[in-house]
Amino acid sequence: MKNIKLKIWLLAMVLFAGFSKHAWAQQQPKLYTLPSPYERYTYYLATARFGGSMPLGKFSEQYIDKSSFRDISVSLEWVLPNRFSIGGEIGSNYYEKRLPRALYEFGDQTVSAIQTRTLSQVPIQVFANYHLAPKNARIQPYFQVSGGISLVDYSLYYGSLVDQYQKIKPTYGVGVGSKFLFKPDGALGADIRIKYSGTSIKYDYLDGNTATIGASVGLFYRWW
Amino acid sequence: MKNKLIKIPLFIAACVFFISACSKDPISDLSTEESLVYYTNRDKAANFQQYKTFSVSDSILVVQNNRSGYALTNFDRDLLSGLIDNMKELGYTYVGPNDKPDIGLTASYISNTYLNVASIPISSYWGGYPGYGGYGYGYPSYYQYYQTQESYWLVSMLDFKNADTTNKKFPVVWNAQIKGRDIENPQLVDTMVNSLFTQSPYLKLQ
Repeated sequence: MKNIKLKIWLLAMVLFAGFSKHAWAQQQPKLYTLPSPYERYTYYLATARFGGSMPLGKFSEQYIDKSSFRDISVSLEWVLPNRFSIGGEIGSNYYEKRLPRALYEFGDQTVSAIQTRTLSQVPIQVFANYHLAPKNARIQPYFQVSGGISLVDYSLYYGSLVDQYQKIKPTYGVGVGSKFLFKPDGALGADIRIKYSGTSIKYDYLDGNTATIGASVGLFYRWW
Repeated sequence: MKNKLIKIPLFIAACVFFISACSKDPISDLSTEESLVYYTNRDKAANFQQYKTFSVSDSILVVQNNRSGYALTNFDRDLLSGLIDNMKELGYTYVGPNDKPDIGLTASYISNTYLNVASIPISSYWGGYPGYGGYGYGYPSYYQYYQTQESYWLVSMLDFKNADTTNKKFPVVWNAQIKGRDIENPQLVDTMVNSLFTQSPYLKLQ
């Protein structure tokens, strides 16, 4: 009899515990259904990119037609609660081409030399991105427009002698890309981007818009 | 806030300086011969077909800044011989300086040293930011002196036949310069002299 009482008592305890747990869970906020902080707040995102680019148009036809794989950049952006983000980016790109010995005419003067043509740029730009997917989507395609200045170094070598031109010139760019989160709601991810850039340079072989198209891969880290 | 405004351009300047410093020398792989540059100038009014004979100076004029003198080293001899051989190949007749040559060739070695001044590390790139007048970079702006030297060979062709008797001058109808690395390398003397004439086909007598 005593045993039966004990069993009933234990069963009642188990049932009560089950109900209590259920009731407690219903009363607590559903933490797992809350939006991620990345969706609720603005946050920062830093990206380091490496890549290559190809000269286009007259830049390619008249000066350097060789692609370069020495593009690097770092950017810091502020991701807004809507689909936009704004930020700044500083980079570096470098183009080079060696020509065999040839004769060049300058008025009454003839010059025989091996030409080494170079152009390096350090673009410092502000940009705006429009993202096509929510902030925690694993794949986040975006469009980008940018504008700023570029520290231009045009160095045309005749043998070991150089004709150098250094100026600060306006630059702009438009691009498409995508961010890839390594894990949902994570802080780390990859970035790929294709970007058209143009810089206004008019000197010697360059007569206006120095256009390039580049592709880059990068890693980003975001925090809030 | 004020501190931040100063730090941002400083950060950008540091990035730019770092990125610029990483650039490699694009001509470090050029050989000595590849580094050479040959310049030739001509008087387009001159008719080279009128000249038949030539002579060559017996030594090299060495000019260093404001000083000058004459020299005749083994290299100089090779260079003068190279001039004679090339002129002969073009159809001219070599004569002595007292045999009234139509044209005369002289060779000079010019070496000028320049003292330059530069403010370090602020170059023309980041000479100042608008709106931040009065701010420095946290370190003193100072100047550095550096010396550069330019050396080259100069070969001149003088027109003795049509001398300017009024001003007592010989017109220079052709000249050439050789610039680049190691221009006193004896192994390159033939290459250097031959190149000057190869790129001047108008000197050839018909």
